[in-house]
Order: sequence, then C-alpha cells, then structure tokens
Amino acid sequence: MPDWLVIASRELRERVRSKWFIAVTLLGPLLLAAVLVLPVYLGVKSAEQRATVDVVDQSGQLLPALVEAAREAGGHLDLVAVDAGTPQDELLRRIRDKERSGFLTLPADVLMGGAAVYRGDNATNLKFAASLGQLLNRAAVTARGRAVGLDAAVVTRLVRPRLTVAAVHDNGTGQASSATAAFVVGYAVMFLLYMAIVFYGAAVMRSVVAEKTGRVVELVLSAVSPRALMLGKVLGVGGVGLLQLTTWAVAALVLFHFRGAVLGAFGIAGADAISVPLGAGDALVVLAYFALGFFFYAALFAAAGAMVASEQEAQQVQLPLVLLLVIPVLCMQLVTNDPRGGAAEVLTLVPFSSPILMPMRWLLGGATTLELLLSLAILVLSLLAALALAGRIYRVGILSYGKRPSLRELARWLRR
Amino acid sequence: MGELAVAVSGVTKRYGDFVAVDALSLAVPRGVVYGVLGPNGAGKTTTLRMINDILAPDAGEIRLFGALAPGREAGRRIGYLPEERGLYPKMRVVELLAFFARLRHVPRRDALIRADRWLDRLELSAWRKHAVQDLSKGMQQKVQFAAALIHEPELLILDEPWSGLDPINADVLRDIVLEQRAAGRTILFSTHQMAQAEQICDEVCIIARGKKVLDGPLDQLRRAAAADRLVALELATPADLAAVEAGPLADPALVTAVRPRRGHVEVELASDAAAGTLLARLVALGVGVRRFELVVPTLHQIFVDRVGAEVAAGREGAPDA
Repeated sequence: MPDWLVIASRELRERVRSKWFIAVTLLGPLLLAAVLVLPVYLGVKSAEQRATVDVVDQSGQLLPALVEAAREAGGHLDLVAVDAGTPQDELLRRIRDKERSGFLTLPADVLMGGAAVYRGDNATNLKFAASLGQLLNRAAVTARGRAVGLDAAVVTRLVRPRLTVAAVHDNGTGQASSATAAFVVGYAVMFLLYMAIVFYGAAVMRSVVAEKTGRVVELVLSAVSPRALMLGKVLGVGGVGLLQLTTWAVAALVLFHFRGAVLGAFGIAGADAISVPLGAGDALVVLAYFALGFFFYAALFAAAGAMVASEQEAQQVQLPLVLLLVIPVLCMQLVTNDPRGGAAEVLTLVPFSSPILMPMRWLLGGATTLELLLSLAILVLSLLAALALAGRIYRVGILSYGKRPSLRELARWLRR
Repeated sequence: MGELAVAVSGVTKRYGDFVAVDALSLAVPRGVVYGVLGPNGAGKTTTLRMINDILAPDAGEIRLFGALAPGREAGRRIGYLPEERGLYPKMRVVELLAFFARLRHVPRRDALIRADRWLDRLELSAWRKHAVQDLSKGMQQKVQFAAALIHEPELLILDEPWSGLDPINADVLRDIVLEQRAAGRTILFSTHQMAQAEQICDEVCIIARGKKVLDGPLDQLRRAAAADRLVALELATPADLAAVEAGPLADPALVTAVRPRRGHVEVELASDAAAGTLLARLVALGVGVRRFELVVPTLHQIFVDRVGAEVAAGREGAPDA
C-alpha cells in the first residue's frame, strides 16, 4: 500500500467514525426532506385557512361584487359588511378579541384608484394579501362593468377565465423545463458546492495545523515524504466529503422519486407533477466539479496550514482563500441572468470560480459540451499546478514553527 | 570495526546565514549505543533529522546500513523518537500504533498483532481501545516509545530521549535501550545530560557549534583524558591534611591544583610528575592515608575541559534547530 493511501485511509476512518460526521450525514437527508415538504405543506395549509374580515365600504359601490368574487374563489374568506360610521375602536376591538382577522376599508374613490386599506393580524401573510388584491380587482371590473350598464353575463365573460403565465426555461433545444425549478436546482447545487469546498478545504487546513501543533508531524515525516503526507491528507478528507455528498445525493434522488408518496402522507396531492431538470449525467458533472474544485482549493488550504504555527494564525491566512470562494457566489446573478453571456463564460473558465459556477450554468443549459470540456481541462491543469506549488510550500513550511513567512520568504521556499 | 550503521561524512546544514552543522563526520558501528553529546544549539537535532531524511544536507553525504542514502528504504529500518513528542490525540491507542507500523510498511494484520504485543509489554492493554488523549502523560510517553519500536527497527534514533520523562519511564526507556542493544540493534541518541550518557553509551561524539570536538569509545576517551594525572586523596585526620597541604601538595613541581571535594581532595599532578612520587612523599611524611586513587574523569569533566565551561552550561544564544 503506498504511503499516501495509508495516510488517506487514516484520515478517512478517523473522520467517518466521528459522531459529528454520522450526525451531519444522517441529518442532511432529513433536512432535505423538510426543505422539500415544509413549504408546500405550509403553503397548502395557509391557503386553506379561513378568515373573517369586516368591510367598511365608503364608496357604497364595491361591496356586493367583492362578496360575489370571494364566494366564487372558494369561500375561504368571509366578508361582513360594516356600517361606514362604525368607530375604528370597535373594529380594532374585534381584532383583539379574535372575532375578526381584520377590516378592509374601501375609500369613496376606490373605483377611481383610491387605495383600499387592510388592517389585520394576518396582514403579513403575503399569500392572503395577494389574494385580497386579486379579489378586489376582479370585483372592481365587475362593478365598473355594471356602472356602464353591461349585463352580468357579459361581465362574467370579460373576467373569465383568468389567464396565467407559465415560465418555461428553454435554450432553443426544445428541452423545456420549469424556469423556477431550473433556478432552484442550479442555485442549490452552487450553494452546496460552495459550502462543501469551504467546509472540507478548511478541514484539510485544520488537520495540517493540528499535526503541527500536536508535534506529531515530525514522526510522520520520518516515515513518509511531505508530498505523500499532503496528498494523503487531501485525498482522505476529500474522500469524506465525496462520501457525504454522495449519501445526500442518493437520499435526494430516492426522496424525489417518492415525492408523491411523501407529500401525499402530509395530505398534499399532485406533487408528482413537479419536475426537476437533473439527470444522471448532470449529477456526474456536479460530482466532477466538486472533486476537482475541492482538490484544487484543498491543496492551497494545505499549503496555508503548513505556513502557520497555530490555529489563530490559520484563521488569518485562510481569509484570502475564502474570499476567492465567496466572489463566485457574489457573481452568481451574472450567470443566472444570462447563462450564455460573456461574463458567465469567463467565470466558468477561471479555475477559482468554475467549480462553483459551472455546474449551475450547465444545469441552466448555458454551456455547450465543448465549453464544459474546456473548463474541466483548465481546472485539471490548475489542480496539477496547485499541487506542485502547495507541495513546495508544504515541504518547507511543515517543519517551521517560527513566525509566519513573509511573501519574500515564501518566494524563496518555492525556489528551493 | 564491522559495517557501519550510520556514516556521516562532511555534512553541512545552514539556515540562512546560521551554520547549524559544520562539516560534521561521525561513524556509528552496528550494535552499539552511540551518544551525540553537546549543549543546546550544537546541531544535534539537525544532524538526527538529516539522518532521518526530514532535512536534506547542504553539503556532504550520509550513508545508512552500508550503502543506503537516507530515504524511504532506509527509513523502514529506522525507529525515531523525536525531541518534539506528539501523537494523534483522538486516535485509539491500538490503531495509532498500527498506523505507525503501516507507515513503516508492516502489513496490516501484523501491525495490529505487534501493537497489542507492545501494549501488553508496557502494561497498557486495558487502554488499547481508548483515545490517546484519555491517557496520562506518562502513559502517552510509553505509547510514544512503542510507536518508535513497533516495526522492530535495526537502528533506533532517540532525540533527547530523557527530557520530560518521569523516573519510572526513564527506567523503562533505559531497559528498552539495553534490551535493543542485547538484541544486536544499534541505538543512536542525542543528549545534553552527560550523566545519562555516561551510564549507557558505548561510544560518544561530542559536538559544539555544529563541529565535532572529539569522538570514540567512551572508556578510551576517559582513559586518554585521565592520563593518570588526577588523584583522589583522603587522609585520616584534619591535622594530617593540614600537614600534607603545607608539604607535598604545596610543591609546584609535583602538584598544579588541589580541589576540595566531599570527604576528600582532588589533586591534579604536574604534567611530568608521577603519582608514585606523591605517594612516596606521603608515606615519608608519616600521615594516615585512607584513600589514594587515580581518578578517571567523568564525561562532564571531559566535556568542560574540551568545550569550555561557558558553552557546556548552554549559555550560547543559538537556537537548537
């Protein structure tokens, strides 16, 4: 067994056996299930919630149409007409005593554009506010139609059926997918890669620093070369990350496959219709970028760890690396807004940002296969360069316990 | 002399402008206990690190077991106890030892068997499944010994092995060293504690400021340094002592220095004087002589003589790199 494999297998075993790893790996899919189920569940529940609302109609024109519209919409909203002269204190008391959710005030000029005001304890429920606005508009159309003498049946034909826009993501390939779903998946993948690289990259650095401060490194180096030690460490920690991501990916696929049954158990129907544009080939792209991106950054993190003598100093030297990782996240919108644009192209070729942004761009269909291969090739070459560079810094730095090297000393280390 | 376990020839190591090891040569025969002695900052640790292939020399050559350069192949046959001790605190003891065995290419099955054997021998079997950090400091030191010996190395390199050891573990380590020598293995260690070295070394090399001062088998060095010029003298009464001090000991042709010691005086004879002459004078004086003994100098005395008292006390400012 080669030296680096002995080192890597130790790193892997020690980490995989820790309680933290087991907890995080198992809790991950639970969290995922919660993320999948909760919004839908809460959305359905809140839509079903009944609300009773007082209406103060100062225009005297809109109330009947509004009541009608509310009834047609499914009857989750009970509207109670209130005399225009009712004091506000009384209306507020009803809210306090939970007799009403709130009260809607329609001003005299409401049909001419005067703003209706809703005051209530559920005003922060965006869905409620939006549906109230829709009802009001529909009622306004009906009321205006009647005002100009249109027949009720004619008015109904004017407002029915309601129209909606379904946003479909398509790059001209004809392979359409829901724009929202594509964005959510792309965003989730980008964020996952960012988190995984930062988390496991920093883990490599901490492991290097711990070996130094724990003074065990000299004994290890008497048996293996610094290069083998660094490689083993990076591969071992990276293996743990891959194991965790793969566990989560499998859990996500299983969960997604049974999404209908899972959501059905919560009383939500029709979830089977939700489609997510993520195939096996796409998953491979994500894993490839995680592996390459992680090893690229992990080599740099390992070199950073070798330069310092304490955990505190390590926090400082890792800052530039974390910044390099944050920049692509900040530039995310350049890719989502125009996946095929020049900025997206550059960001997904540069090795510092490509591991985080390319999978998202790929999922949005913004990159051609040729661009993908070019980006991968650049990343692989950069990885080899980073390993060579970090190996030199590591070799000299790992045994130095003194103060952190200046840039000039660092340059001398590289030449040795 | 048979084949050498370690041959260092003309090795130099610099850190920037500081010369840590300066054209050093030493030869460690197989099967001996060899001590590299010197004050702090003399270059001991740097020398041992170069033999272990942790550092590369700037000049000169190191050969191990005859013809091997320092590196992986030689490393498999070397056990190392660094001055900077440390283990992985969260690892289980038995797995930690197996890991170090496997780093030295012991197959996995053997590694676990050997780990258990060592834990048994060091009376740590009850702790085999515990994390290293759960062990007391003394127990961790024992585990550190085992980590150096787990692959049954032909050459054991110990850097300042007794620093920080409690008396019990110091004995454990001495027993290990003697046992390894009895098994025909070679032990190379560094120390600045001359008393420890004196008890255990077959051969020594004294270095200071990165340069060799003298080397060779310990008993030869001591005899050579003595040259029958030191006499421990104890007299029957204080009156006898007074008479002698006023008489023969005051003769500059015979005696160059008299140093009071506990219960006796140490007399340094003039270079062309013989111990017999002094004894004859004492007998002629008729004093009661309880003890008249040619003294072999301690390693410490040789060291002070050759290196200088100031350096020996470690007052040099150089870091021990």
